[in-house]
Amino acid sequence: MIPSDHFVRFYNEVFKFLDERDGLQPYYEEISRHQDDHCLVLFKAKGLRGVYEYYQRIYKEENCQGPLVLNEHELILGMDRCPSLSKAIDNDAGACPKYCLHCPGWTCRIYRLAGLFQIFDLMELDKPHCYEWIYDDLELAKAKYKELVAGMPQDGSHYIVVSDERIKG
Amino acid sequence: MLRYQEDNELHRDFHGTTNTTLDYIAKHYGVDALKMILRKTGHDVYKSIHDKLAKGNASELIEHLNWFFYREQGKYQLTVSENEIVLEVFECPAIRHLHKMGREVSPYICLQTSEVNAGMCEGTPWVSEVKVVGEGHCIQTFRKEAGHDTK
Repeated sequence: MIPSDHFVRFYNEVFKFLDERDGLQPYYEEISRHQDDHCLVLFKAKGLRGVYEYYQRIYKEENCQGPLVLNEHELILGMDRCPSLSKAIDNDAGACPKYCLHCPGWTCRIYRLAGLFQIFDLMELDKPHCYEWIYDDLELAKAKYKELVAGMPQDGSHYIVVSDERIKG
Repeated sequence: MLRYQEDNELHRDFHGTTNTTLDYIAKHYGVDALKMILRKTGHDVYKSIHDKLAKGNASELIEHLNWFFYREQGKYQLTVSENEIVLEVFECPAIRHLHKMGREVSPYICLQTSEVNAGMCEGTPWVSEVKVVGEGHCIQTFRKEAGHDTK
């Protein structure tokens, strides 16, 4: 048994294997489909409140550090110290350079199907921090995206992913 | 001393994603590819255990087995002698959690154990074996082969 504590380090080896074969995206989609029974059902039923409830449990169980803030039409998921990438880095096998991409990889589809709009600032892919904003209103998502892009450093260090191309305006 | 010794909250649903991943890799890339990834995980991720085994020191392996099965509330018995370590798992925590999640257990669930264990032992005087007795019940054996002198 790979302990659940060490799943991340196994996942990381799977990413290395798939990346060499250009196989990451179909795998993310498969992982995403396996979340339909709980995440998608919850997010569709309760909207942002459902996402908030799901991540309250995840923040605790996965020992996340960062803000989790629910506003009227906005949910902010901040990772000041992502436990997942932290483990992939603290690992004798070394981290997959694309490790962070799995997060938007499986969640974007879920948010699209739930009618929510996600903006994911992965920041630097080798540092365990990122921020995510989720909206139930496309116009608010567009405004946030515009604000983020305007304030983004031009050195290519930030990596922004959106769940729906309409967010880019 | 363990290289990785988590002692905070546990996210058992990761057993679900492992289960999905085992099936996915086997279906799309074949069982040999799955074995390769698992063996590499055993060898590279658990480098510290592997390197100690290569020097004839099984202390981290013993601690690893005991700590993580205890932490996941497995029902098990660990028996250690000079040249043999036997872990009998009476109720696998991963399979128990998959049942709790309502997931179908992957046919490769025990392969993860046999290949990761084999990866830890690769190139060392130790060999591993996993006997599946029934669902969630297995006997994992690590045996030091005669004729190896690591002192």
